[in-house]
Formats: sequence, C-alpha cells, structure tokens
Amino acid sequence: MVTELPKTDVVIVGAGWTGLAAAKELADAGQRCVVIERGDWRHDATSFGAPEEHDELKYARRKGHMIDTPIKTLSFRNTSDQTARPIRRLGSFLPGKGLGGAGIHWNGQLWRPLESDLSMRSHYTERYGAAVLEGTNVQDWGVSYDELEPHLDFFDRVCGTAGVAGNLNGEIREGGNPFEGPRSADYPNPPMTPSPPLQRFRDTARAMGYHPFQMPSANVTRAYENPYGAQLHPCTYCGFCERFGCGYFAKADPIICIYDVVKDHENFELRMNSHVLRVETSADGKTATGVRYIDARGREVFQPADTVCLNAYALWNVHLMLVSGLGTPYDPKTGQGTVGRNYAYQTMAAVSVFFDEEVWSNPFMGAGALGMTIDDFNGDNFDHTGLGFVGGGYISANQTNGRPINYQPTPPGTPSWGAEWKRAVRENYLHHVSLACHGSSVAVPQNHLDLDPTYVDDFGQPLLRMTFDFPENDRKMSAYVLSKAEEIARNMDNVRAVGTSNNAAEGQGYSVVPYQTTHNTGGAVIGTDPATSVVNRYGQMWDHHNVFVFGACLFPQNLGYNPTGPLMGLAYWTLEHMKTDYLANPRPLMDA
Amino acid sequence: MRNFRKTAVVLLSLGMGFGVALQAQDFAGGLGNAELERRLGVESVLFNATIKDAPDDDMIELGRLVAMGGAENGGSGMACITCHGVEGHGDGSGAFPRLDGQAGWYLYKQLNDYASGARPNRVMSGIAERLTEPEREAVSAYYAALPAGTFDTARGRIDGTLLQWGGQLAAVGSAEKGIPACVNCHGPQGTGLPPSVPYLAGQYAGYMELQLTLWQDGVRDNDAMNVMEAIARKMSEEDIRAVSEYYARVANPAEMEAIPARELDAPGAQ
Repeated sequence: MVTELPKTDVVIVGAGWTGLAAAKELADAGQRCVVIERGDWRHDATSFGAPEEHDELKYARRKGHMIDTPIKTLSFRNTSDQTARPIRRLGSFLPGKGLGGAGIHWNGQLWRPLESDLSMRSHYTERYGAAVLEGTNVQDWGVSYDELEPHLDFFDRVCGTAGVAGNLNGEIREGGNPFEGPRSADYPNPPMTPSPPLQRFRDTARAMGYHPFQMPSANVTRAYENPYGAQLHPCTYCGFCERFGCGYFAKADPIICIYDVVKDHENFELRMNSHVLRVETSADGKTATGVRYIDARGREVFQPADTVCLNAYALWNVHLMLVSGLGTPYDPKTGQGTVGRNYAYQTMAAVSVFFDEEVWSNPFMGAGALGMTIDDFNGDNFDHTGLGFVGGGYISANQTNGRPINYQPTPPGTPSWGAEWKRAVRENYLHHVSLACHGSSVAVPQNHLDLDPTYVDDFGQPLLRMTFDFPENDRKMSAYVLSKAEEIARNMDNVRAVGTSNNAAEGQGYSVVPYQTTHNTGGAVIGTDPATSVVNRYGQMWDHHNVFVFGACLFPQNLGYNPTGPLMGLAYWTLEHMKTDYLANPRPLMDA
Repeated sequence: MRNFRKTAVVLLSLGMGFGVALQAQDFAGGLGNAELERRLGVESVLFNATIKDAPDDDMIELGRLVAMGGAENGGSGMACITCHGVEGHGDGSGAFPRLDGQAGWYLYKQLNDYASGARPNRVMSGIAERLTEPEREAVSAYYAALPAGTFDTARGRIDGTLLQWGGQLAAVGSAEKGIPACVNCHGPQGTGLPPSVPYLAGQYAGYMELQLTLWQDGVRDNDAMNVMEAIARKMSEEDIRAVSEYYARVANPAEMEAIPARELDAPGAQ
C-alpha cells in the first residue's frame, strides 16, 4: 500500500549543503519544495554545544553523526576479480546523516578548482600530448572556471570564508595563493591566526622558493552576516571541527547558513526520518515523476513532483540512480554506460614533524581549516614533463585538533604501547604538527560503482558496490608530493624527527579500514558528451531532463582539493540555470 | 582535592562563608599566606592561579599587599578590598563582581585591558594604570588562589518561567535566535574554563547583566576570541536578565566539591 501525496513542484533528496541551497534558491523563485532527509532534525545551538558535543568517544570514534551502516552501507572490493563484502563499520570515509548532512562534520577547508583542473583532458593534451593520459578516463568538466567563478564567490560569502586572495581580478597578491584562478572579490573575512608550527612551515617554504598562504577557512574569523542574512560568530579554536558539529556558530554549516533562513518559507517543507527508495519515471521513461520513500512512521509514500533534485551524498546519489534505473549503468568490460563510471577517491599522504622544546604547538588550540598551505605541487602548477603522472596535491601544515584518544603523535621507531610509548606521547604532544599531502585522483576504467549481486540493505535493495584501488598514476603522484613535503619538514628549524605515511604507497592496496578522507567523487559525472557523462554541463540528466544532480558525484575525476567549495560552485551554477532557463520551459538544456 | 576540602572545612568552622558579605565588605577576613600556600599545593588551584609562572610565596604576598592598597610603587591609590573585599566577594550592586577563585589569567587580562582602554571603566582604568606589571600579575594570582566562597549572590524573587528560560539559554542556547549556549565556553554548570574563560556560576546577576549590555553596546570589546559581542547582540533585555539571574543562582561548583553535602543541606544554607 503506497500513499500518494499531492504533487509538489520540486522534490529534493537530502538536506545537506546542496539540498538546502537548492531549496532556498528554488523556494525564493516561487517553487514549492519538499526536502526529504533520512536522518534526524538537529540544530547547532541545541545539538552541537560543548561540553556534550566534545565527546571524542561518542562522535569521533563511534561516529555519532555518521550514517548507520546497519541501515545504509555499501560493499567494497579492490578489483573486479574479487568478491565484494559489505562495509559494516565505517572507516576510510564517513558519510553523514541528519539535517545538514556531512556539512555538519566537515572541517571547513573551502577551496576552488584551478582553471586547468576543469579542462583537465584538453589542458594536459595541449601541454604534454595525449599520451600522458593513456589508460585513464580523465575528461573535461564542460564548464569553465570563469563560468563558475560568480557561484564559487557566492558560496564564499554564504560561509564567510576567511583567507587572503592570491589572485584578485588577475592581480597576484602577497600572502595569497598565486596559482588560484582570478577572484572577483577578496575573501569576506581575514585569515585565521597561525600557530607557531604553521609560522615555521610558512617561513621555511618561502625560503625554499614556494608560495605559502593560509588555507581558505569556513571557520569564521569575525562576526559576520551572510548574503541570506544568517549571522555567524568568530571561531574559538576549540579543536572540535572534523566529525563534530559546531555549537559556536563559527564553522559555516548548512543549518546556520541556509536552513535557518529558509525554514519558515511558505514554499519550503522538510520531512525528516524519511528514506528515499527510488525515483519513479514516466511510462515513456523520459522524465521522472517523483520519489518513493519510507516515511518516519514506516509507511511507503509516493511524492509526485515536476522536478527531482538528487542531493544525497555522492555515493548515495549514484546508488539511487542505479536502483531507480536512471541512466545507463557503466560496464567496465565494454566501457559502455555512464552511471557508476569515473568513480575516484582522494590520495592522502602525510609528514609528521616533531619539534624540540623550542617550538610549542599546543595542538588543542586548533580548527578544522587552521592550515598553512602551498599549492606549488597541485594540479598542473608545476611541470609534469618526465614525471610519469598527472595531477598533484596541496601540502598543508594543519592544526585541526589535539584530542586525547586520536592525537598521540610519536616519532618513528617508538613502540606502539608501554612505558616508552607513554614517554614519547608526553614529550611530543605539545611539539608536533602534521603536513597533509592532499592529492588528486584520476578516473580509470576499472574503478567504478555498480549494484552488488549478493548483498541487500534493510529495505531489500541491492547495496552499492565499490570497486577501487589507487591507480598507478596516483601512487607516483603521491610519492612525489610526499617527497616535497618531507623536504620542507627536514629544512625546518628545531625539528628532531620526521615521519611519513602514504595511503597510496606502492605495494599496498587501498583499504577501507583506516580513515583517509570522505571525499568520494564521480559516478554520475558532468560533461558535454552523453557517452561519457550522466548529466550535461548544467547538472541535468541527459536521459531525464527533469532530474538535476548535485554534489561530488559530478566530478569527472577528483581534484587535489576538498570538494565542498567546487561542488557548491557547481550547485549554484545549476540552480541559476534552473531558475533563469529551465523552470519556465522544462526541456533538455543541451542536445544529446 | 583533600587539601582543598580541609581548607574549606577550616573556613566553615571559623564561621566564615555562609550568608555574609552580601552588602557590606568584610575587611577583617581573608586567608593567611600560609593557608594560601597550602591551597596552591592543589593542582587545580595552582593552575587557576598561574598567569605566567607558577605563583610563589613572594608573589602571593605582593598580591595580598596590592589588594590591601599598598605596594612598593605606592600602589593603585585604592585598595581592591574597598569594593571587592578581602575574600573577593564583591557586592550585589552590579558594579563589583566577585573575584574569589576566578581564573587568574582572566583577571590579569582584565587589568591590562582596563589600563589600555580595551575595557573602559571610570574606576578600574585609573587603578589598573597605576599598577606595575608584576603587581597586576600578583594581585590576580592572589584572588585566583582564594577559595570560591559560599554565599548567596541572588537577590529577590524571580518569575520561574524567566529563570527556566535563563537555564535553557545557558544549557542549549536558542536555535530560533541563533544564540550559542553559555556552557560551550563557560563550562558545565558555568564553572569557567581557566585560564581564559571566567566562571559565571554564583556571580552577581547585576554585574553579568551590565557586562552583557556593555558587550551589546560595543563598549566592552575585550574577550580573547571576540565572541561575546555577537552573542550579546542577539539577546533581548529579557534574555540577558534571565541568563544572569539563572547563573547567579547556580552554586559555584568549586565550593560544591569542597563542602560536605550535609553542610549544604543544613537549614539556612543556600
């Protein structure tokens, strides 16, 4: 028995960053929006306040804000000749749940793509010849930096991003990132206050000829009102960003930046604890008719809508398409099909820097985006000739937290337990910083997402199946960027030990067990060719023109950056075209 | 904690603590240097009182001297105890907060800010300007090392709904108004987070009301992370009164720890 509700203009799946931005923009444009969210209602003031929120065991270790794997998970294997097994405990990545989605437990590191990132295939082909991309599915995004810039800028304003513009309308400015594309305006807020290890990193990197700058931060640095009228407060450097909500109104998140200013809108309705099962399509298959979901009381409900927006987490958007029969599933054997194609991850390595007694880090005074960064080895900011790989990553001295369970840095050679270990933790806790190498990931034919043939979820639907291992390209890239980071560490003064780790080291398969990053991308990528993309350059599905897709599932390959900034630029770009073009005259916005 | 408890018991047996110093200042009381040194043997007291270096006998002695109005340089020209009392209990006028057991670095920063004008105040600015750097540090350490006394800072009757609203703002803030909860920074039960965040529990309502209003008006603008102005600006007059009256009625947890439960339950005790 399925209850059919009255039709609405727009149904939005997921109440995270993109879902709430879509609801706000479309509700203002006169569209009646119904947002369907799987998790609970919550609010920064009432749900994320210290001291309760600062419970490392509950939220960081037992992952209180993350998806419940007994209800929603996926299966994993490294290669197609293996049998995938369900991920029963979250590890490598941490999808969120509840109002605000993963936008609640992010760090607030807010980036933009490089100009060359968005035309990766044409750019590399022109500079190095097509051979450097052999064996990859690297492709252009179909949308340019200049087209995205106003939308990237708007999201900077929504978040009250803190930083120094390195390129202001083409003028390169001291203290910013000289490699970034031109900004139409400076950051709305000044950068965070760098801690002593970050200052050391900055001075050493500069002396080596690199271009250090402060990481763009959505941990707001002064009282700020965003374009929607939401008010944010200055960050207190409490050290509880990643994996935690912010009770200080200081880390920009979808609740305080968007939900609060749309919640009373007459065109806005939010349904919590409602799990979308599938998108229904019309008899001719050309359009979607609405979504079917299980509501908070366990009833199966059909919500008809003129327009369907998919705003779930990157992996879940792809899953929803596959179980709904939207688009054509990708088959790695034939290379045909697009849904599930070009799944990519992020390639993470790190250098652990141990200072002597002269340099105090006081790591408990941290923030998610408190970092000093160089972009000299990201994207194509450096000459790749003869290196044997494409892409790159930023290197950043980050001081995010000093939490007691997680943060126990010890120099290489320290036993992993016992009196020696305890002594090493005591000696190093206050004198340590990590340099993150946050690397890109190319799409390759073998890495993909599809439906699991064996395992089903609580609702009887097949699990999403991930097939992934680090491509050779990314292993080489990671080793290269890591070696540059290590060199900087060894050049810093007052350093008594240096350790390195590389998740994509040669000879070891990708593992879903240790945490690496939640930046899963691709599977429903954007482009200008329906043979290699699921949505056109406006985020509209080629096969169903009234389905619009949002989030990092759109990335044709992963950037060397955190995805929230780029994916929100794309979201506002899509929303602008919906508002100014599509809604008045619903049709495919590009010819297939 | 054992030393701390003994100290408090000694205090009680001397008949000090309860129900005194509400209006009039007590010039005669105060702990002797030996007692303060004993208290500094307790880790939490030492941490609370440490500003740059751990306070030693000389510093506490100097601090006590400054509090009494004397000092090598002629002092501030006015004794702290005139308004804040030897025990640091202040009074309920709204102008004179209690200082007993307050975070030392916080007190020290306030003196610097009074002197620099970052926290303008017609009485305190002149006093702070006349104190030398070591005197500011010493007098802050002295008051920080005192036990947070047990006395009733709340005055008069108050509407229960208002008080409940104050408690709610303190514990979970307001999602509607975008006000973060006080406990975020001021700690569970308003104990403060030394060295930088002062306690609110047991502070005078009138004083807290005045400070929130000064923040709201942009007159006071000196908190370390600059968060108070934005918070105060989101609060109505009623919000400010509610949360101030609420915290005035929360027993200071330092004293809860120190005093046996049966004493607190005794008739007449608050």
